[in-house]
Amino acid sequence: MGDGVSAPARTVAEGAGLTRRFGSTTALDGATFAIPSGVTGLLGANGAGKTTLLGLLLGLHRPDEGELRVLGLDPTRAGPEVRARIGYAPEHHRLPPDTRAHDLVRHIAEIHGLPHRDATNRASDALWAVGLGEERFRPVGSMSTGQRQRVKLAQAIAHDPALVLLDEPTDGLDPVQRDDMLALVRRIGSEFGIDVVVSSHLLEEVERICDSAVILREGRVVASGAISELTGQGRGVLVEVDDRPEEVAGRLLLRGFEVSVDGFRLTVHASPDHEPGAVHDAARDAVVDAGVGLRRLSDRTASLEDVFLEVGA
Amino acid sequence: MSDGGARILDRGYRRYDGHRTGVAGSFRTLVVHSMQRALGLKRSAAQKLLPGLAVFIAYVPAIVFVGLTVLIQDTLLANQNLVPTYADYYSFISAAIVVFSAFVAPELLCTDRRTGMLGLYLASPLTRNSYLAAKATAVVALLALVTLGPPLLMLVAFTIIGQGPDGPGALARVLGEVVLGGVAVAVLPASLSLAASSTTTRKAAASAAVILVLLASTAVTETLVEEAGAPAELFCANLLGLPFELVRRIYGEPSPDVAVAGIQTGTLIAAYAGWTLLFAGFTWLRYRRLAVDR
Repeated sequence: MGDGVSAPARTVAEGAGLTRRFGSTTALDGATFAIPSGVTGLLGANGAGKTTLLGLLLGLHRPDEGELRVLGLDPTRAGPEVRARIGYAPEHHRLPPDTRAHDLVRHIAEIHGLPHRDATNRASDALWAVGLGEERFRPVGSMSTGQRQRVKLAQAIAHDPALVLLDEPTDGLDPVQRDDMLALVRRIGSEFGIDVVVSSHLLEEVERICDSAVILREGRVVASGAISELTGQGRGVLVEVDDRPEEVAGRLLLRGFEVSVDGFRLTVHASPDHEPGAVHDAARDAVVDAGVGLRRLSDRTASLEDVFLEVGA
Repeated sequence: MSDGGARILDRGYRRYDGHRTGVAGSFRTLVVHSMQRALGLKRSAAQKLLPGLAVFIAYVPAIVFVGLTVLIQDTLLANQNLVPTYADYYSFISAAIVVFSAFVAPELLCTDRRTGMLGLYLASPLTRNSYLAAKATAVVALLALVTLGPPLLMLVAFTIIGQGPDGPGALARVLGEVVLGGVAVAVLPASLSLAASSTTTRKAAASAAVILVLLASTAVTETLVEEAGAPAELFCANLLGLPFELVRRIYGEPSPDVAVAGIQTGTLIAAYAGWTLLFAGFTWLRYRRLAVDR
């Protein structure tokens, strides 16, 4: 924010103890989460419960147990009202092949409650926004996979939703198209001011564009929070010295820190019991006390993939 | 500023804080869009051919009869049987009704499932029930185009040329009969067509099923009643003939088939309602359990 004071993140959706069963299969098993404003990644392997959770957010399923609020409403009771404020882009690429992109986007905008004239104008704007301005009167069937992904994105934002749900938005795209699509999704979340939930199994993508993530495994939320929290801050520090790393490690061990040594590089693990910044101070002091040169001192960060593996997702 | 080669690269994004039409608007939009699609509007010429042909076949006899009435009024007055009654008119256009019944609902339901549009609709303010209600409204309205439009055209034309009902009271009564008859002929085939379309994503298969059921029910019941001496009430399983017989009862005209004429009107209405509810209920159940592709 311009004044340097960050406002508390608004919660777009939150669930507590959500359980959803389909026959003998438990798709969601007591999932508890909070999705803040911004761009949030919904991560998990196939069958982890991502699609079921999207269905719950849209009010298409009723949870067997637990409570859910989306945009301040209970989607099981106010499904149409919630869905009127949500844009949704499905994973599949099948769209009516003989329909022009502009007609499709306008129609979905009208279905979401926009009057015909406004829907017409906004359909054009949305297609321009996703980079299909010049192609907007082409039949969807004549478009490439990348263009269809953009059409799906355009129909999801044309009615100016408060929240957009994107299911695997880069599926089927080549690397260049994927970069463009990710930039577009990021732009929707930041520049357009629309909160976004991206369901994906591609960790690197989520890490690149998301502010936060919810990681699912076998229907349970195994990790959630801001990407910065999940991947780094508070996890410890990396220290690289020019001599006697074992001595530095010994001094850190005496101070109560867990340390692993790899050559001249030490990884110092912080635990939640330690004060913020204590690990940095301890590393500095250990290096000074050992009388060795310091080559590097940095936060110990992990990729989202490390987090993913760590929680067993 | 730059020359004429300037291009718009980014128009930005504007928020929308205008009026929203709500669920009623979504419903109305889906009905209108479905009707446009089935009629081939805003689509290629090839996709206009079949609906155009069915509508043409349905209206041609009405236009011919009105034209004949204008041109050879005296001859017609002497031979009143030359122009069919409103109830008899449906026998001239039964082929158009069968074709339209078989074409419309598959075009509207099967296409949505095959192209993934159903998933987008159900992610909107529409629910499965309101989606189905909108589609059923569109199918009945489209069928009414061929079942209600031509008799209505005849009524209006005959009234204008002075050959219509005598007085406002009679006109209102005939108008009511025309509307009721047109709707009666539309609703049962519409529900059958919706039920068949709910079972497959293939339009051709659904269309073939509708035609097969309509023609087979006619052939089987007529054979059993007329040749095998089965009870006349079996006619209630004739899904093509049942609405037409109900129309005769609406207009108070006798059935040409003596055995059918002996069936109580209440029995016919109950059978008609039963079939319609059965097909509608089947469609509702199918969509309630349908796994939507996302």
